[in-house]
Amino acid sequence: MSATPSSNGSPESSPFTLERGLAAFRAEIDGPVAAFFSSCVHCGVCAQSCPFYLETGDPKYTPILKLEPLRLIWAAEFTLLGRLKGLLGLNKQVTDEMLTQWEELIYDSCSMCGRCSLVCPVGNDIQAMVRKSREGMVASGHVPEGLIGASVRAVQTGSPMGLQWKTLQVQINHIETSTGLTVPVDQAGADYLVMLSSMEVINFPEYLEAITRIFDHAGVSWTLSTQCFEATNAGIQIGNKDVAALLVQRVVDAAVALGVKNVISPECGHAYTAIRWEGPNLIGRPYPFHVFHIIEVLDQLRAAGRIKTEGMETDRLSLHDPCNLARKSGVIQQQRNLMDLIAADFVELKEHGKFQWCCGAGGGVSSNERAEPLKIAAFKMKKAQIEEVEPARMVTMCATCRTQLEEGLEHFNMDIPVVGLTELIAEHLVEHEPAEQAEGAT
Amino acid sequence: MRVFEKNPLEKGLAERLREHGVSRRGFLKFCAATASMMALPPAMIPAIAAALERARRPSVIWLSFQECTGCTESLTRSHAPTVEDLILDLISLDYHHTLQAAAGEAAEAAREQAMRDNHGQYLLIVDGSLPGPDANPGYSTIAGVSNYSMLMEAVEGAAAVIAVGTCAAFGGLPAAAPNPTGAVSVMDLVKDKPVVNVSGCPPVPMVITGVLAHFLTFGRLPELDEYHRPLAFFGQSIHDRCYRRPFYDKGLFAETFDDAGARAGWCLYRLGCKGPSTYNACATMRWNAGTSWPIEAGHPCLGCAEPRFWDAGGFYVPLSVPTGPASDYLLAAGAVGAVAGAVVATKARGRAKEEAAVRQPVTVEELEQKL
Repeated sequence: MSATPSSNGSPESSPFTLERGLAAFRAEIDGPVAAFFSSCVHCGVCAQSCPFYLETGDPKYTPILKLEPLRLIWAAEFTLLGRLKGLLGLNKQVTDEMLTQWEELIYDSCSMCGRCSLVCPVGNDIQAMVRKSREGMVASGHVPEGLIGASVRAVQTGSPMGLQWKTLQVQINHIETSTGLTVPVDQAGADYLVMLSSMEVINFPEYLEAITRIFDHAGVSWTLSTQCFEATNAGIQIGNKDVAALLVQRVVDAAVALGVKNVISPECGHAYTAIRWEGPNLIGRPYPFHVFHIIEVLDQLRAAGRIKTEGMETDRLSLHDPCNLARKSGVIQQQRNLMDLIAADFVELKEHGKFQWCCGAGGGVSSNERAEPLKIAAFKMKKAQIEEVEPARMVTMCATCRTQLEEGLEHFNMDIPVVGLTELIAEHLVEHEPAEQAEGAT
Repeated sequence: MRVFEKNPLEKGLAERLREHGVSRRGFLKFCAATASMMALPPAMIPAIAAALERARRPSVIWLSFQECTGCTESLTRSHAPTVEDLILDLISLDYHHTLQAAAGEAAEAAREQAMRDNHGQYLLIVDGSLPGPDANPGYSTIAGVSNYSMLMEAVEGAAAVIAVGTCAAFGGLPAAAPNPTGAVSVMDLVKDKPVVNVSGCPPVPMVITGVLAHFLTFGRLPELDEYHRPLAFFGQSIHDRCYRRPFYDKGLFAETFDDAGARAGWCLYRLGCKGPSTYNACATMRWNAGTSWPIEAGHPCLGCAEPRFWDAGGFYVPLSVPTGPASDYLLAAGAVGAVAGAVVATKARGRAKEEAAVRQPVTVEELEQKL
């Protein structure tokens, strides 16, 4: 290829070109996309469901507008009228300039929370189309640097934050010392393979300890895998199916190598949807195991009477449902069943479950430093919800949501701690041998 | 209802609403409902509110001809005191012979005065059909004046004409075969003024007020369909918005009015429901302050908002039973369409596959170069 004038600030010729991006956009236009675009009635209800639009008031953040590049390609190349207009040269072209402008709309101002898809009166799955648009954005080289970094690290080091097994091993040693329990590693034939997210390992080490204690209490056969411990999928967030498939494949290989029956996705939203829903489509075949979110497993154990708790939290607790878990996967009642075990004063946010509001950090927004002001703006919706019911603490079950809640509440000087539901359950377990434990315990 | 109010153009709507105890919130809710019903973007809500607040009460003259007063009933029984009532209270209804207190010469004098005072600006609402110019005018007269002359005289100074109800819009029952009075619709006679048909027997009250709100907001009439009906309310068929539609799609039909299917709320298509060919807002707005509507009450749609609905076959005969001789060419056309559809679908699928093949997989080494 002859040298082209540098367009996107990179002096060397980039492997990503507009042509390549357009091909990737086209490959995403399938039956549903065509049906969605032709049924859009321009009602604008999606704007009213989007925290990024509502909190900024800027109409460019209207969800359906974020799909304009994809829509233009559909209209120009996949409709009869568009092709006729094309013959006369009347179609608006998708250019590099346009995609540069849309990068902010498709990445910085969308957490793919899916509220727009839910409220759309004609049933257009807008967030799925944002996910599809990202395929074209990656292939044309219009991606925030933070997401590229996370993807490269995820593929090269096994963790989007560059975390290595030896760091995790140190943590395992700590947990084993403090609990007197063993953290099973590479146990072939275990019932459950527990996956983690780097953010949890670094920010919330309490999680792994909680799992260790709960599974010991309930007599669950489980293991970690040294081959793959990372459940998150940077490929889903950047929006590239090649990277996403590669990362899912690692989880599948680790699970197959150990011959486990089930894989547990950690307290992370997108990791769950990546492995549970997108995964088999990405790798093109069904799994020989089941996938659960940790909250689903805990609720199954509760229903089977294998979790015995004592005492209740007496302060006022409220719950933030992660979008990926509640809206996209229907895991809504499980966390409430678990809250009932341990919360004496539980108050729901006004809109919760499938109609909850996003924390504002998902879908790669939190890995994208440039998006910080938008991330804080979108959080104001959550803040208002929290202020309405005035809880003493917030409970959630996604490390990204939790970090965002903590940072956001801190930003607005609100003194409301945030806890993970799994840890909260672990704190209330009935001890196995109360008499002996009482002596040794401090 | 305030009839005969002198000097109707003094106060803005918002002020008058407040006098009637309607809160700002209630008013904005009405504006939001109006925006969504007319499929306007939510950003229009403040614009609607601002326009309505500024709006002066336009003079409205309501003429009733060969009608049953059902349309007036529909409007006035829209559950007092809703915002819709007040909106109506806040136009200046200068003549409506059912509602006004005055009678005889005083009533007619009020009409004539309103026509003089607001020449070229008043809205003319008509309910009921009327004997055409060639029919015997004696079939329907008011104060000794034939309906035809009264309409033509009133139309002359009107800004626009709103035909309320199927009789005024399409002739309705009086025009049904054999049409003994030679009844015609308003749009058969009025050619030089904009005509909006708010059809239905009777029409949904909110549709009448919606058209008025649109007029007050934008100073012009809403977008209309081929039958001059406002698209915002008549744009979709009853069938498409029917809550029983999933049963139709699954092929679950009530066969009689008292079988298990009817009790389970299945689709009424086989009992003669005209929902698929009827365009109106009943399925979305419902009746009696949103309480229910015919299909929800277990009765098929009669198709009352459509032209010639009285003569369009039996009410309880399914739509699929042809009213005239069956036409084979329709079947042939259907077959051609199916083949064409299959060809297009196959081509489109081929194209998607082609594109997927052209797409170049992304590698992490390439991504790294971007860093």
